[in-house]
Amino acid sequence: MTTYFLLQYQFINRRFKDANLPPILGYLLAALLFVGLSLYLFYKTTFAQPIYIAIALSVISPLADSRRNDFLNLCFGNAKQRIVRVIENLLVSLPFILFLLYKQYWLSALCLTLLASLVALIRVSTTISITIPTPFYKKPFEFVVGFRQSYLAIFAAYALTVIAICVANFNLGIFAVMLVFVICMGYFTKPENMYFVWIYSLNAKRFLFTKIQTALSYVSLLVLPIIVVLAIFYPSNIWWLLLFWLVGSGFLVAIVMGKYANYPHELGITQAIMLALCISFPPFLLLLIPYLFVKSTKRLSHLLP
Amino acid sequence: MIHINNLSKHFGKQQVLHNINVQFEKGKVYGIVGENGAGKTTLFRCLAGLEDFDGEITSGLQPLKHHLGLLLTEPYFLPRITGQEYIQLLCNARNTSITDIASKNIFDLPLHKYAAQYSTGMKKKLAITAILLQGNSYFILDEPFNGVDIQSNMMIVEIIHQLKALQKTVIISSHIFSTLSDTCDTIHVLQNGSITQTVQKADFASLEQTMKNVTIGNKLQQLGLV
Repeated sequence: MTTYFLLQYQFINRRFKDANLPPILGYLLAALLFVGLSLYLFYKTTFAQPIYIAIALSVISPLADSRRNDFLNLCFGNAKQRIVRVIENLLVSLPFILFLLYKQYWLSALCLTLLASLVALIRVSTTISITIPTPFYKKPFEFVVGFRQSYLAIFAAYALTVIAICVANFNLGIFAVMLVFVICMGYFTKPENMYFVWIYSLNAKRFLFTKIQTALSYVSLLVLPIIVVLAIFYPSNIWWLLLFWLVGSGFLVAIVMGKYANYPHELGITQAIMLALCISFPPFLLLLIPYLFVKSTKRLSHLLP
Repeated sequence: MIHINNLSKHFGKQQVLHNINVQFEKGKVYGIVGENGAGKTTLFRCLAGLEDFDGEITSGLQPLKHHLGLLLTEPYFLPRITGQEYIQLLCNARNTSITDIASKNIFDLPLHKYAAQYSTGMKKKLAITAILLQGNSYFILDEPFNGVDIQSNMMIVEIIHQLKALQKTVIISSHIFSTLSDTCDTIHVLQNGSITQTVQKADFASLEQTMKNVTIGNKLQQLGLV
């Protein structure tokens, strides 16, 4: 069992090394980013505790994949496999638990600890035979795949909008808007197999413009219901809504560009730091997007001449 | 027509393709045979522009990759994308409008199901359907018969015949000699990264016999089966 966890530790270290980053620095940056985002969430909304627990559970949920658990079962046997799963769920949710303890939200910390342990005993089948319908069938790819992986989170954002109206909390509505954008950004974090770039009869620039166009139109389709509802109930705040729509779109474009700026590898550490800087100062996006566009064009030029 | 001039490919210090010179004409079907690791897939990837190489590849329709249907040995499928969406994605990528995908589903695939859940043979049939519907002029089919049932193999052979009749250029690799002799006009033998032999249809039988002799020889006797 110790070997298994040591291997996992080495895998994480390798990922940092692949991104040309010493692991110690990687852990430090990850910790800083985690604390920064956590503080921001708790500063922004009074509903941070349930949202924080939901985020923690969504982070550990991929570990429940049935094929992965079958493999663990083969390696460790039934009883040990359950222990391994509980330990790894607790390890992954530990930063969240520690932060809740730091904020003195004892009950939430206890809830998360119990839920993380319980979730470890549940298996999620990845071979569900039901095909989840999506409104993105005309241009299938990131949004089709992403929506099917995250539709529950999208519906949670819609539910938050309803709560925002009921409790007259506009900030919570804005949070729901940004949540949809963050979910959609997640659709563009992993670079696709080269074949799915190669197939396009477009040059690199046209390819990138097409990707941006699709991303912006499809994210609008998801975010528009929230914007419209908030605009009806908070007509005086319509400019704030448009501003957040614009900022969210800017981040999405940056993420789309970032996906290809280091292609076929994942987003480079330099670009990740730049994106993190943009969170604290969004106007920086005006410089970052053209930079990433030029970099992406160069990276794709051999596949899409 | 596709013209390959002095194509060489290195992976680091190792040279895997050596000065390949070959021509693929319109309306012809070409087979590439060779042992595992001979360089067939690398040659195909160079033709498709998926790998850098030394030398020159020219084609009647430029750029070649915009008119090329590439079937990989093991087609890759995105998770949670249906067969129908996969076809739509590939057609969108080539700006080919496609209206009634269901009517073109000649292999009777469950197009509404996630492609990643298909069997090996079904995946291959889906990938073949998609590149056919892209409306390509050139085709590279790397192991199109692998893992596919007999009925579908017959269908694929007929598809290749029709592509030839439509004046398309088809390049196939296969480990099943009969499928090549049924479909190809010319077979190129690739050995250690070089084309060592080019055989026309009339001589396929002798090529098969030579390959049998070289490959099998007296190796079975070495096994000492009793």
